[in-house]
Amino acid sequence: MSTQIAVKVDDLTVAYNYKPVLWDIDLEIPEGVLMAIVGPNGAGKSTLIKSILGILKPIAGSVSIYDKPYEDQRQLVAYVPQKGSVDWDFPTTALDVVMMGTYGSLGWIKRPGQKQKKAALEALEKVGMLPFKNRQISQLSGGQQQRIFLARALVQNASIYFMDEPFQGVDATTEIAIINILKELRKAGKTVIVVHHDLQTVPEYFDWVTFLNVKKIATGPVKDIFNDDNLTKTYGINYKVSIQE
Amino acid sequence: MSSAQIEIQLIASLVAIACAIPGTFLVLRKMAMISDAISHSILPGIVIGFFMTQDLNSPVLILLAALTGILTVVLVEYIQKTGLVKEDTAIGLVFPALFSIGVIMIAKNANDVHLDVDAVLLGELAFAPFDRLIISGVDIGPKSLWIIGSILVITVGLLFVFFKELKVSTFDAGLAASLGFSPAIIHYGLMTVSSVTTVGAFDAVGAILVVALMIAPAATAYLLTNELKRMLIYAICFGVFSAIAGYWVAHWLDASIAGSITTMLGFIFLIVYLFAPSRGIIAVLYREKQQRTEVSLLTFLLHLKNHTEERERHVNHLNEHINWQKVRSKTVLDLALKNNMIQLDKNIVSLTEKGDEFTSKAIDYIITNEDAQIEDMKDDFFLFRG
Repeated sequence: MSTQIAVKVDDLTVAYNYKPVLWDIDLEIPEGVLMAIVGPNGAGKSTLIKSILGILKPIAGSVSIYDKPYEDQRQLVAYVPQKGSVDWDFPTTALDVVMMGTYGSLGWIKRPGQKQKKAALEALEKVGMLPFKNRQISQLSGGQQQRIFLARALVQNASIYFMDEPFQGVDATTEIAIINILKELRKAGKTVIVVHHDLQTVPEYFDWVTFLNVKKIATGPVKDIFNDDNLTKTYGINYKVSIQE
Repeated sequence: MSSAQIEIQLIASLVAIACAIPGTFLVLRKMAMISDAISHSILPGIVIGFFMTQDLNSPVLILLAALTGILTVVLVEYIQKTGLVKEDTAIGLVFPALFSIGVIMIAKNANDVHLDVDAVLLGELAFAPFDRLIISGVDIGPKSLWIIGSILVITVGLLFVFFKELKVSTFDAGLAASLGFSPAIIHYGLMTVSSVTTVGAFDAVGAILVVALMIAPAATAYLLTNELKRMLIYAICFGVFSAIAGYWVAHWLDASIAGSITTMLGFIFLIVYLFAPSRGIIAVLYREKQQRTEVSLLTFLLHLKNHTEERERHVNHLNEHINWQKVRSKTVLDLALKNNMIQLDKNIVSLTEKGDEFTSKAIDYIITNEDAQIEDMKDDFFLFRG
């Protein structure tokens, strides 16, 4: 694997009201990995993603995407926020939400047209939600809503995907469907970064992992660093996960 | 109708449209109370502007008042950001303070001018046609009409240009930020439009009605549609209808126009709240009752499916066995017969092919929660509509 660095984080510190949530994070994410960010609640996992994407302003440090600041590289990046971060009673349809993924490439003022609609329909097809395209979003199940969010990221046709807990509140079928799509993305050479909670599935789903708890504990290939030592350092208790080979 | 009457209705309608547009987004952003805050706290801006220009319709006054509106939003957000109090408390702290500064300024300095607290709260729509805009000796209509007309043109223009940005930042601010549409710019843009609209409408309809015209039509429209564009159109229609109907109610009762329009808005919301086809109270109650019946139906069908022996499927036995009241049994039995799901033969009930298939599918759905296969049943049964 050519080890081009897709995402580089340097000395990143983020604070809410002067209380640091992320402290001096250095992180290099190589191109083409499917990476999990794990850590306890309040470890700053979502904050890390949001700071990389410029949604939160760090008090120190810098972020680059393929050696350039994020602002110059927006087109290369897609983001799937936590499902709970939006109001699903908003008056709009599944197709319309997926169309929002195309807004970034359109820029200000320009409106989506046939080309954008076609791309959105293809993305819906990919996540198996085409039959629901005209459904009001509040009438979708949790798993379906998550698929819609995934489709919205797919339509951006990005190189790097950031996902905040895509498996939260979805059933096993949806979880498998989503992870298969993520694996496909990696196969196509994309970089996928996922905030993940279920430690048991890390070795099965991901090939790269970052342990985070306000500070970065470790980052690297799952097979090298996903061990009890790092888990204990991250979660603060004597953590044992049994990983059967 | 006299020309003054037409002018009043025209002004009221334009105000209604100008309010409904930002109002729709305020409702969707759960910021309805911000419009209340703005409408009150622009008062000091209006008073200072009035001292400077001696003209209630001067653009300087509108600008100053709009700035006070923005100041309100900034102050509310600042107090809220300290984390010491919640947003609603912050709103409750900021706007009465600013409003009362305005009230004191009026009482101290403006006793002899046409600016009093009553007019500020309730407006003077009835007098709007008397204040004419005269350019080089030609009367081109009431000043209020021109002011609110100009504001409306700007609002509609902004809505058309930035519809996509407004939609995405309202639905998902995080995504909007990551795509490069700064939610802060859109937020303050919307706040500016809301403030300017409030000031423009203020003189015509007063502080209380401005809030009603922003929030009530949008809230009513929200109950009727699942699409943002339609919500905007419905909100505009409700606003205009209430404005005109309210005017005639006032005319007929010889009462305050602003008060009548507000009453109409409340009345229309009540009607829609009760009778809206899918989200209205009556529809919801009906749906819940149907769902209960349908669950009973399914229980009944499942019983038939699980018991092949005739003894278990005799009508008399069913009554006591499933342990329902007579009325309920009859409703369920009728529903099943109507849908050709069961057949009766010498008081022995058995499932038809359709009933059997329906039961399997429904049980399967309830267990797996995979709803692709029951898509075709959704229209006939409430049970599968979540």
